[in-house]
Amino acid sequence: MPQIEIISPVTGTVWKIERSVGDTVSEGDVIMILESMKMEIPVEATESGVLASLNVETGASVNEDQVLAMVQA
Amino acid sequence: MKYSHESVAVPAHGSQTPTQDEKFAELQFRRAESMKMGGKVAIDRQHQAGRLTVRERIEKLVDESSFREVGTLAGSGTYDENKRLVSVTPAPYVAGLAKIDGRPVAIGGEDFTVRGGTTFGSTRRKGGQGGFIEDMAHHYRIPLVNLIDGAGGSVTSLKRRGHSVFPGVHGFEQSVQLLSEVPVASAVLGTAAGGPAGRAILSHFSVMVRGTSQIFAAGPPVVKRSLGQTIDKNDLGGTKVAVDTGGTIHNAADTEEDALEQIRRFLSFMPSNVWEIPPITECNDPVTRMDERLASIVPEKRTQAYNMHRLVRMVCDDDSSFEIQPSYGKSVITMLARLNGRAVGIIANNPMVYGGAMDAHSARKQIHFMELCDTFHIPLVFFVDVPGFMVGLKAEQEGTLREGMRAVYVAGQLRVPTITLVIRKCYGMAGMATCNKNDIDLKLAWPSAEWGSLPVEGGVAAAFRKDIMSAPDPAAREKEIEAEFKPYASPFRTAEAFAVEEIIDPRETRPVLCELIELAERRLRSDAGLKPRYGVQP
Repeated sequence: MPQIEIISPVTGTVWKIERSVGDTVSEGDVIMILESMKMEIPVEATESGVLASLNVETGASVNEDQVLAMVQA
Repeated sequence: MKYSHESVAVPAHGSQTPTQDEKFAELQFRRAESMKMGGKVAIDRQHQAGRLTVRERIEKLVDESSFREVGTLAGSGTYDENKRLVSVTPAPYVAGLAKIDGRPVAIGGEDFTVRGGTTFGSTRRKGGQGGFIEDMAHHYRIPLVNLIDGAGGSVTSLKRRGHSVFPGVHGFEQSVQLLSEVPVASAVLGTAAGGPAGRAILSHFSVMVRGTSQIFAAGPPVVKRSLGQTIDKNDLGGTKVAVDTGGTIHNAADTEEDALEQIRRFLSFMPSNVWEIPPITECNDPVTRMDERLASIVPEKRTQAYNMHRLVRMVCDDDSSFEIQPSYGKSVITMLARLNGRAVGIIANNPMVYGGAMDAHSARKQIHFMELCDTFHIPLVFFVDVPGFMVGLKAEQEGTLREGMRAVYVAGQLRVPTITLVIRKCYGMAGMATCNKNDIDLKLAWPSAEWGSLPVEGGVAAAFRKDIMSAPDPAAREKEIEAEFKPYASPFRTAEAFAVEEIIDPRETRPVLCELIELAERRLRSDAGLKPRYGVQP
């Protein structure tokens, strides 16, 4: 079962984390919401599976292409 | 009579006149020599590096048994003291005509197993810049496919020739000319530097393989000597740098097979040349399909981003999209797709990446894609959600304003039918790069659309600064003026003034676009041909 990296599309901050480790997620489910350029950017599961890890906390600064979470597909 | 490689190991082609049978035998022998490429050891080495040979690549890409080689016998023959042929080392380039999805192409690539695919000193160049294969593509008006796996010229040729060559081989102008005539697609399938690297760039579409391909102006030894930097070739010219960061090559592929498949996919959207229009395929996805999810895909809160990739896919024919440069300049999405089987170029701003603001990279990406579609008569559909140019120090250092205005300039020269569909924001000069003013300038919008020179929010703060600052409660005053202006920002007011041509229900998008794209066909046919570009890009 492959581990899927959930990547940040932008540089910004983590505004809200919507799901917890161990949750079952479907493709397209919002895992967390980032804030960047006054926009709320939803970070979605790119594949269905179980949320294996959350690598950031609310308020954290994140860089473009940073791994935010892992999904066990 | 049947000839085999074994029966004619040393053909009798010496000083005496050969018989007819001997001539056939020699042809057979020479062909067999050519198929051996650089020999078993070199071929094994190529495979161990995770790479295919050029012949395997051609076989995988083209329609079965469609490859007709040109220049099979070119190479360096070894002769014994009686001038009898002993062996032939084939030229390090394999080329010919073939078919991809039933349509002819000119195809060629370096044979890395022969002297590392270095330039071959024949009377006439087989491939690469100004090579015979380019003349074939030009002459027959068919696409050119380059399978690049070589480092270009070798210094050894200097001694053989007795003089050094002025940069720019004769015939190099053909590589340039082809870009306005036929589709040119290149796969970088090894380490490319020098001429072959440059050849890859002179393409409409280029792809390279993660891990096994690298491309650069010069490799690690030259970098070490010039700058004293020690860097691995993959760190210098792998996909992370060449595709994701530099945009030097358009797409990355996981394997060589994937790279070849991407070339096939790219060509499926293209006409064979600019005098034709793109092929129309059968479509099983109903034109009348109205995806209910389109009604709610744009969040009511205007600061919430949404998935533009998903939105576009809900509108286009099922599984028809092929994204160009998905990992570069990500604030704009450029993809080839189909609407009722007809090729379209989609340019969609991506609100997930910096709100869809146009930066230097996304501008450059959009410019290439607009020129590509304009050249090959592929109508454009803009899915607009652009707040403007990217702002900030980094953006200014990257020359965003200049690159962005180049996008506006190129959009201003478009002649291919274009549909502008505003999904949400369309502001400022970046918004100007989403319309084709030379055409009927057809602008459609969803009810969620908003536009202007700048948004009411920031605009009010700037224009009424004095008024706001002198108020007892400046924040309240700002809100008050904003509320006064907000109703005028409604897209319906603009439609009332017929300054956008139509506002549509998001669910109607597919039927409306399919109809307009079908309508474009006569226009595309009448405009088919060369599209020269004049003037100076800013």
